[in-house]
Amino acid sequence: MLQPSPILLNLEKVGVTYPNGHTAIENISFTLQGGTICGLVGVNGAGKSTLFKSIMGFVKPTSGTVTIAGLEVKTALRRNLVSYVPQTEDVDWNFPVLVEDVVMMGRYGYMGFLRHPKAADRLAVQDALERVGMAAFRKRQIGELSGGQKKRVFVARALAQGGKIILLDEPFTGVDIKTEDSLILLFRTLAQEGCLILVSTHNLGSVPAFCDQVLLVNKTLLAAGPVETTFTEENLAKAFGGMLRHRKLAGSDLHDDKDHRAVTVLTDDESALVFYGHQGDKKIISPEGGGDGSP
Amino acid sequence: MISLLLEPFTYEYMQKAIWVSALVGGVCAFLSSYLILKGWSLMGDALSHSIVPGVALAYLLAVPYAIGAFFAGILAAFSMTLVKQKTKLREDTVIGLVFTTFFALGLLLVSINPTSVNIQAIILGNILAISNEDIYQVVIISAICLICLGMFWKDLLAVFFDEAHARSIGLPVQLLKIMFFTLLSAATVAALQTVGACLVIAMVVTPGATAYLLTDRFGKMIVMSVLLGSLTAAAGAYLSYFLNASTGGLIVTLQTALFLLAFLYAPKYGLLKARRSLHQKTEKA
Repeated sequence: MLQPSPILLNLEKVGVTYPNGHTAIENISFTLQGGTICGLVGVNGAGKSTLFKSIMGFVKPTSGTVTIAGLEVKTALRRNLVSYVPQTEDVDWNFPVLVEDVVMMGRYGYMGFLRHPKAADRLAVQDALERVGMAAFRKRQIGELSGGQKKRVFVARALAQGGKIILLDEPFTGVDIKTEDSLILLFRTLAQEGCLILVSTHNLGSVPAFCDQVLLVNKTLLAAGPVETTFTEENLAKAFGGMLRHRKLAGSDLHDDKDHRAVTVLTDDESALVFYGHQGDKKIISPEGGGDGSP
Repeated sequence: MISLLLEPFTYEYMQKAIWVSALVGGVCAFLSSYLILKGWSLMGDALSHSIVPGVALAYLLAVPYAIGAFFAGILAAFSMTLVKQKTKLREDTVIGLVFTTFFALGLLLVSINPTSVNIQAIILGNILAISNEDIYQVVIISAICLICLGMFWKDLLAVFFDEAHARSIGLPVQLLKIMFFTLLSAATVAALQTVGACLVIAMVVTPGATAYLLTDRFGKMIVMSVLLGSLTAAAGAYLSYFLNASTGGLIVTLQTALFLLAFLYAPKYGLLKARRSLHQKTEKA
């Protein structure tokens, strides 16, 4: 029998009210264990980034407590328990740093006073770059990389840091599909190694593809649990209100037999393109207007 | 001929001017590597102008000018934060508003008390007439700056590059930022006497900008920037002996000349290189 994984992240009635009086999140409680990939889902402005910030100690919760592996946030950060992978837009790519410099920054917490890398640090950097398949690019200036490569460099930095909790902010924005697949594979391996991977995203389609837990937030926690039981149409409607493009294609829209099963398409910014049917006899169904035309 | 070239070194005031300028130039250049990456050049300008009333007041009260300048700088930074927080004004507006206010206040103070201080010396600088007490101040400030920057240059880079990550590895982000701006104020104070309040901005921008065009590694960029800053400052002071020209003007002109060279001929980011690769592409096509 498997040992139950230790609790890595525990939020107890966490609320954040900014000095200007705006309450970003309130009364959020949940517990997550190692070996999990958890999606944090909500509309823009639902408090996803505030939640991230309070886990990383950027904002002090005005109420409630955050504990990481049983420790206060500050202590946990000092022990390098939390790694953070930023959104690509949050980084200035014109900085005169090479790929290996960025990954080495993940090791600063382990280094002495003058941040002089030891053999172990160099090894960790090499290892991290190899795991994301970027070892060949180590001498490149970061601005010369493609979107997917940039993301992989920052994942490598998180790996080099060796955090038990890895926070990812919209990891698949601007990333090619091949990188997305290889990153998902890597996240699965990391989860198997006991890490907790918390992914903030509004890319709904990617959630069932690689998360096993999900948190739905809109100012407060609406639902939490395994993807199969929690990531439901009903809960998503609660989380997104009228913010989602929503189109239900009933059996009669799709085919002439008596199958009553329906296809539901939910998306937020972009409209989805849905193909249905056999090769050669393909119907294009627009989930927006509902009209279906032949190509 | 050689005796003519060595002539400036036979005067004590020239010797002092040269090595003090080099020291200040190096410190400012170190800071410039960070300033230009964050787009904070205007901050340097604002700080240097804001400290003028502090210097004037310090002369009036007969306390070391560095103290007055320092408090004026802190007060200016504080005012900027306050105005920015309490209004919806954009940052450049706030900076422009606060630093001109402080600068005007400085001019006013001096004009009311015309004998107490030579405002020319603050605005335009006069390294050739620097007193020994002022040299001590400059040396102490520079030493503190170089020690702090030398110890924390990697931490500062981590903070400026990705603040969120810097926090996640447990760096005291807020403290490091405060340290940086304190050092910047202190360095601009030191540079006042060399090039004056008006040209300090060049000292904390140009060497970094030049080095940025020459390398992709931050460590190398700092070394190049410091070398450029020190050498141009020393050379400017040295040449001013022969040309009988303003030291500040010469230093900054030299720095700009080097920047133009890098702008044209930098191996990777120079204008000519860009042209050449463009030509190669069109020829291939």
